[in-house]
Amino acid sequence: MNKAIELEDVSYRYPKARTSNLKNITISIEKGKFVVIMGPTGAGKTTLSLCLNGLIPQLLEGDLTGNITVAGRDLSKYRVQTMSKHIGLVLQDPEAQIFGMTVREDTAFGPRNLSLSVEEIYERVDRALEKVRLKGYEDRNTSELSGGEKQRLAIAGVLAMQPEVLVLDEPSSELDPEGRAEIYKTIDELRLEKDLTILAVEHYSEEVIARANEVVVLNQGEIAWRGEPEKLFRNIPLLYRLGIKPLPVSLVGWDLYQKGWITSDEIPLDVPTAEKMIRNLLIKHGNRQLESCSKRSGIKLQEKKSQPLLQVTNLKYRYNSGQTALRSINLTVQKGEFIALIGQNGAGKTTLAKHLNGLLKPTEGDVVIDGINTKESDTSQLSRVVGYVFQNPDHQIFSVSVEKELEYGLKNAGFEGAEIKQRIDEALKITGLEKYRNVHPFSLGKGERQVIAVTSILALKPKILVVDEPTTGLDWAGINKMMSLIKKLHENGTTIIMISHDMDIVAKHARRVIVMKDGGILLDGETREVFSNFEALQQAAILPPQIVRLTKGLEDLGFQENLLDESEFTAALLRKLEDVQCL
Amino acid sequence: MFIEYLPRQTYLHRLDIRTKLIGFIGIVILAFIFKDPLYNLAIAILVGILAFSIRMPLKKIYDLLIPLAPVFILIMLFSGLNFGQNFHGTNGTALFYLLPGQHLGVTRGGLLTGCTFVIRIFTMVIASSIVTLTTPIDDFIQLLNKMKVPYEFSFIITTAIRFIPTMNKKRMLIIDAQKARGAKLEEKGIFRQIKNYIPIMVPMIINSILMANTLSMAMLNRGFGYTRSWTSLKELSFTKWDYLTIIMIILMVISGIYLRFGLNKGFFT
Repeated sequence: MNKAIELEDVSYRYPKARTSNLKNITISIEKGKFVVIMGPTGAGKTTLSLCLNGLIPQLLEGDLTGNITVAGRDLSKYRVQTMSKHIGLVLQDPEAQIFGMTVREDTAFGPRNLSLSVEEIYERVDRALEKVRLKGYEDRNTSELSGGEKQRLAIAGVLAMQPEVLVLDEPSSELDPEGRAEIYKTIDELRLEKDLTILAVEHYSEEVIARANEVVVLNQGEIAWRGEPEKLFRNIPLLYRLGIKPLPVSLVGWDLYQKGWITSDEIPLDVPTAEKMIRNLLIKHGNRQLESCSKRSGIKLQEKKSQPLLQVTNLKYRYNSGQTALRSINLTVQKGEFIALIGQNGAGKTTLAKHLNGLLKPTEGDVVIDGINTKESDTSQLSRVVGYVFQNPDHQIFSVSVEKELEYGLKNAGFEGAEIKQRIDEALKITGLEKYRNVHPFSLGKGERQVIAVTSILALKPKILVVDEPTTGLDWAGINKMMSLIKKLHENGTTIIMISHDMDIVAKHARRVIVMKDGGILLDGETREVFSNFEALQQAAILPPQIVRLTKGLEDLGFQENLLDESEFTAALLRKLEDVQCL
Repeated sequence: MFIEYLPRQTYLHRLDIRTKLIGFIGIVILAFIFKDPLYNLAIAILVGILAFSIRMPLKKIYDLLIPLAPVFILIMLFSGLNFGQNFHGTNGTALFYLLPGQHLGVTRGGLLTGCTFVIRIFTMVIASSIVTLTTPIDDFIQLLNKMKVPYEFSFIITTAIRFIPTMNKKRMLIIDAQKARGAKLEEKGIFRQIKNYIPIMVPMIINSILMANTLSMAMLNRGFGYTRSWTSLKELSFTKWDYLTIIMIILMVISGIYLRFGLNKGFFT
């Protein structure tokens, strides 16, 4: 038997769902392979993984038809608990999968359920923790682990059951880049084990390409595509159709392919290959001197003499425990800026952002917003000037309809009757949520709930909008929708301060970037300028976007100025190749 | 009370939970057979020494006793006012009267009884917190297992405790998110307070339900309920110190009983 997973004509419908959530899925996965499932939100990726160990239909009812065989066992004949010895399923939220108070205790949870002997349990715990590189953490308190560590612990928990198949449902979507790197390092080590089959649901293209043996793309409950990752990621129109984010370097490659400069097999999938390909191309076809004609450069921050919208002077913040969180922050923000706040977790981004609407008050120094010192005001007053959208919309939604949700902030701010109605109408119109006015927010998807959270802040018409990781956990379509909304708000005159880990988004949208490290500002400048300072970025453990890295690598060939996104880069490259004039 | 564990390495920490419970019962018996406050004071001092031996923070004792202060005063008052009919001799005569015209007389016997009551409560409070402070939650759960309580029950307790910090973090996030929308949580008045906390409570409940959903899936994923029981990682076991301590406790209780009923000490009428 060399098939780890076999699905035969599997269809499934959640109870009360109108249409099927999985439609006639037939797929077989060989032992020892690493297969990645991709696709937009709602495509049925999670549903599929829940079918693989029997949680569907044993815990979540509904109509399941077709045959599922995992590790040689017909799922209709075994309980989930029995299957847990053969297939380990790690769910999205690591927090809700940790049962123990210490790392050891938690990892032992599974084997204990199997009533194994104490010696064997500890042996399995040791081995599982070693595999996820958590050795030495045994006696740590689970509540003190970082996100990446928690996710690794969740993986260790199922590995201790010694399964033949490991299923990971978006193991890294809620994590920062560092946490994501941790997870993929662990997955890389697990892949080396010949007899472990791994199936992972993933949004991030970059992680998938070099690793997956096969990619299965789901769309609306059906298998829309399956095959080698290289084939998928070189086919840009296909990616667009499937709703998967293409890599910036392959977008450049696609344009070159369209113009006939390279073949489709030469479309690069990572930075080093792209660099080599372009180098060869330029050497072969001549390298024209590049004159600068980038559109976005030259927009200098306007040095207004007027009062800045936001002024932070010598801000220091210490926790009650005495630990310093922010040290001497100085920051001036003018009206109409689009600022990205970047840095590792724990660098102080959120702590700084929370000072902007008075959720935190400075230990020393001052934060003055639109003439109001936060020390002399409270958050409910400041909420009319500074809107703050938190990362998880589910932490604020509490009303039975979208309209009521928007009303809450407006009532708190002291608006009444007609004014409230008018503002709600306006906000719904901007965000395109009009059709959901009377709908229960929790009946909508995560992406839409995120938009509701933004809309509820928008209704207050704040001068400054602070958004904390607005795209985390969203699929590509969701990310695009969210970013075009934020862009629209910026164009309408709102000053944007965005915390983000997604450097592609930062490079594409922000005009100014502030890099934080250890509670201080490491770099503050125009986006282009900041991304050219590789040394400082490395200090802050930030990996610049692909295109910026590519440009840096080609510096000697005359790519002097920093190009931020694929369209800028392609334009510059084509000018070199074809002698096209600047527009 | 379970999370109050004081991680230290003292003699009491090393004792088995069962020994500690026997000791606790011994102290309760001793405290209740003697009526004389002096004898009870001796027991209280013994408990005080034990508290000192585990280096129990004074602040902890203070926090435990301060809320009880009004109770102590009321006890003294009511038992002091106990009329003479319960006592004989000097114990029965009123020392002074609260109201003119020889009304509400305070007797010596009543005051002594009040002292005994107060000291007993003090002894009990300190002794029980010594037990919880020196015993990790695991030991309590082992004890439950030993008592044949179903393992689901101990699972519920550990999971609940494990999720306290998680839920607390969620609560803070939710409060911040609503404050950013102008929630005024400091307003006075019970009804207004309740109304203001709805935007905190609803997301809290929704998030808990979502989390509980994942939790139940994760439990099954890891074989919860595979068999009717599970492996205990730690077995309770007696050391020679436990045996010695138990013998000492028994000796003390027996001599206490002899003192009280054989020699008729520590009692007054």
